[in-house]
Amino acid sequence: MMQYLLILLDDTSVSFCHYDKPHTPRRLIGLEDLKAGILYAMKENLMVQFVYPDYELPQEHLNIIDTIDHHNIKPVGMGDADVVVLEGCDPTASSLNGKVCVLQCKKKELFTESDSISAILRQAQRLNVVITDQECFAYKDLKKYETLLDKWSSVLKEEYLTGRTPQFNLLTDRIMLTKPNHCNAGVENITLAPNGKYYICPAFYYSEPTDCIDPQNIPNQQLLRLDHAPLCRHCDAYHCRRCIWLNRKTTLEVNTPSHEQCIIAHTERNAARRLLSSIREVGVFMPEVEIKEINYTDPFEVRNEWQ
Amino acid sequence: MSKIKRQNSVWREKIAKNITFIVTKDCQLACKYCYLVGKNMEEKMPWEVAKSFIDYVLDHENDPDFAYEAVVWDFIGGEPFLEIELIDKICDYIKIRLFELNHHWFNSYRFNFSTNGINYHTQEVQRFIEKNHEHLNIGITIDGTKRKHDLNRVYKLTEKGSYQDVVRNIPLWLEQFPDTGTKVTISSADIPYITESVLHLYRLGIHQVNINVVFEDVWQEGDDKRFEEQLIQLADTIIDSDLYQDYTCSFFNENIGKPLSLKRDNQNWCGAGRMLSVDAAGNLYPCTRFAQYSLRSKKALIIGNIKDGINQNLLRPFLALDRMTQSPQKCLDCEVASGCAWCQGENYDSAHTNTIYERSTAICMMHKARVRANNYYWNKLYRKLELEGRHNEFEKSKHNIKPEIC
Repeated sequence: MMQYLLILLDDTSVSFCHYDKPHTPRRLIGLEDLKAGILYAMKENLMVQFVYPDYELPQEHLNIIDTIDHHNIKPVGMGDADVVVLEGCDPTASSLNGKVCVLQCKKKELFTESDSISAILRQAQRLNVVITDQECFAYKDLKKYETLLDKWSSVLKEEYLTGRTPQFNLLTDRIMLTKPNHCNAGVENITLAPNGKYYICPAFYYSEPTDCIDPQNIPNQQLLRLDHAPLCRHCDAYHCRRCIWLNRKTTLEVNTPSHEQCIIAHTERNAARRLLSSIREVGVFMPEVEIKEINYTDPFEVRNEWQ
Repeated sequence: MSKIKRQNSVWREKIAKNITFIVTKDCQLACKYCYLVGKNMEEKMPWEVAKSFIDYVLDHENDPDFAYEAVVWDFIGGEPFLEIELIDKICDYIKIRLFELNHHWFNSYRFNFSTNGINYHTQEVQRFIEKNHEHLNIGITIDGTKRKHDLNRVYKLTEKGSYQDVVRNIPLWLEQFPDTGTKVTISSADIPYITESVLHLYRLGIHQVNINVVFEDVWQEGDDKRFEEQLIQLADTIIDSDLYQDYTCSFFNENIGKPLSLKRDNQNWCGAGRMLSVDAAGNLYPCTRFAQYSLRSKKALIIGNIKDGINQNLLRPFLALDRMTQSPQKCLDCEVASGCAWCQGENYDSAHTNTIYERSTAICMMHKARVRANNYYWNKLYRKLELEGRHNEFEKSKHNIKPEIC
């Protein structure tokens, strides 16, 4: 069921997900398109999430935005936001206390700036790390990634022992979740772009501007759902975003993830299992949760068990 | 003892890798039902491409993509025998390399051809057959009676029917490959000629007629009724004349028309992705049906090339495909689902989005008509055997048959 409408306020709105923000000139959403989006959300009972660029919006836009209950996703340094987005590992750490943050980075940065991530974990209420070049991950990177995840696990454990319970999408989500928590673009949320058209998600808008949709009639919408994802529906890496845009980019099918997406998610899943066990060394912690030991990192390898 | 002739089993079915060379996109014919919409005279496979492809395949002997016990090297066109010299060179090279590499396919390979039969008698083709006979499977396509065959299978330049030029080669072909069957394709306009055509092929000495309706959305109102009537007429003749003892027609199969379990019978029908095709440019496809010349409305789905190999991420959707995910609810609920086929390429071509996960149901009414006629066939045949006191004998000799798989 559709629940959220994401409104990109400008073509230069911050990217908080797996797509790179394109280097396009500013194009602010038209007032009429903005009003129409809000009206649509009101009629369809959708929670609106506005995605901001890194400049101040005109007052008339802000006035219209205020006509509906909403969440704000803003680049760091742009004032109060429900979600603060850091593009790259250069955190202005002092402003992240208690915040919900998204850190968008590339693999190389993830490996070289792990201390910055640790610093954010010590301040933020929640951190989502989003890697924008997942396709560059290879098996040889996994060991390194495992080490990093274990390092951040130690930070989280220390924080837990002090009574703080920061959330980290790469590690704690899998412990907390009892079922998949995917992005569900096109099923639970859609996007209104600055051109006044609707898209499955911002990434589809930026990569294929001609791929707009009628939100009331999305062709082959069933393929966006978990029950039509032949690998993912058997998978227990519940924290994985199951990004259908990445799926389409890498495998040409929205319902099939790439090998890289799977091995990354499973490396995180297994690190979450280790974190859980480590926390339990010092006391009882979520005794009902069990993350089973598995012998694969890509469900594709064991597909014959259910095919 | 009474017998019912069974369809010949496919050579090393399920344990053989199918590898296809699209040697040419040219053909002498322009068959009206042909799904190859982009045939042309330009795209002929250069020897260097064929050689590089063979090297790629044989150098990856231990990769999961090629970890099959056996291999079927398929040659397709257009009309493959237009490129018999190239094919001969390819086959020689394969044999030499299999030997040199001590490859596990060395004595476990077939060369497979589907031909329009026009060049079958030529010296070049006959020399090739003589040289490779032990490892050859050649199917000649003849559609039935002259009027049925010539309705569709016409020369591209003159639009003249090709029946006479094909039928003259049938005796030679049957002498060389007596157990081989022919492939008949049925489109809307062919329906009235089904019975006469199958019987005609039997009379020509062809004992196995593999026949199917086209997957494309060509069917008109009433076609299912007409189709069913033809099949019942055919069933009557086959049974009343005891032809079932020596001849088969793939329309009649005991395993079709049953409900399928979502769990047990969830596998994909089509072999796309487990097969591999290469074209003149050295591009790789999960099946020839994904090459551009096969597609009406979609872009070619290329999964790699001979230089860089197969992009495994592009292969994943094919190998992850199952029946449930791609089928609409009406197919999952269908009580006569077994034996209802689909072509992944046609699914892709006709889908509303760029996906292989949207099953085309254009043949739905034709499948149901086939099931009705098929039920009639087996009920009539069993009753006949029973009345003749031969049913038990048949039951004893009956073996389990699986529906045919592309």
